[in-house]
Amino acid sequence: MTATRPHDPVEDYAAALTSALHGPARTKARMVAEIRDGLADAVAARTRDGMPYGPATDAAVREFGTPDELVPDCQRELTLAQTRHTARTAALTVPLLLLCWLLTRADAGLARDVAVHLVAASASVALLAAAALPVTGPLARTLPVPRRLPLAVAWTGSAAAVTLGAASLALALVSALATDWPVTALACAVTVTSHAVLATSARTCRRCARLALP
Amino acid sequence: MKTDAVRGHLDGVLLAVLEAGPLHGYAIITAVQRRSGGALELRTGTIYPALSRLERTGLLRGSWQSSGERRRRSYELTDAGRRRLAEERTAWQEFTAVIGAVLNPAPEPAS
Repeated sequence: MTATRPHDPVEDYAAALTSALHGPARTKARMVAEIRDGLADAVAARTRDGMPYGPATDAAVREFGTPDELVPDCQRELTLAQTRHTARTAALTVPLLLLCWLLTRADAGLARDVAVHLVAASASVALLAAAALPVTGPLARTLPVPRRLPLAVAWTGSAAAVTLGAASLALALVSALATDWPVTALACAVTVTSHAVLATSARTCRRCARLALP
Repeated sequence: MKTDAVRGHLDGVLLAVLEAGPLHGYAIITAVQRRSGGALELRTGTIYPALSRLERTGLLRGSWQSSGERRRRSYELTDAGRRRLAEERTAWQEFTAVIGAVLNPAPEPAS
């Protein structure tokens, strides 16, 4: 027999926030848990004063604001957290791509041409991604974060993910032809993994950016 | 005080209640209510994303603390947060002095 969980307005409140918000899983879970605990504290403070649980919950929710009232502020923070996550991922994975090309010593013909273009594209992506971190961090104390920055970082991350995908294909081709194919194959595997991580982060960032725009 | 009026000063309010030492989210809410005598009309749940914003910009530092069976996230001021609080106080005093002078002008000396 399965035990049914009793209906709890505080848990319902947390569930409503969880389903409405999008962003980095850990940050979102932390934010919802903090709000749920705070709401539980507010209910407990009222029940200690002798108020029945139901009215105490209603009063605490009125004080906290409904989930719909909290979602815009929470989503804005989660969107910026996702923007920073995507920027950080791009800034770390793109130099990794360059390292892969160095390891494979792709220094001839088509491979070299592809590498030159990837280096130029990657450097631009890494610079933009790195710039987004202070803009959404310490600089945001005095300067407003540009409204379109999350979308710009999302599409930059997407472009970098496509670049990594192209690099994976090029590395696979080089690997097939190279004499030191184990190193090239390893570089290809690292690049594929980086592509998957960055593409996932950029996709979530695009979704968050759309939600945060008015 | 209406919600919109409070929101413009929320950063200063949160930094001020954390000046004495670290507090977790609901303790910050009760400290704000106690200091204001309950006069601030604020959806207190919006304090949590505001704390997240202040932490992101380096004005607060958050850490998990054990409290009985529960873990709570406590916040404390960073050095940048203390400097910002001092700036907020100065700006507020200048603002109230200027508006006060306009609303309650000193009587002009009789000529």
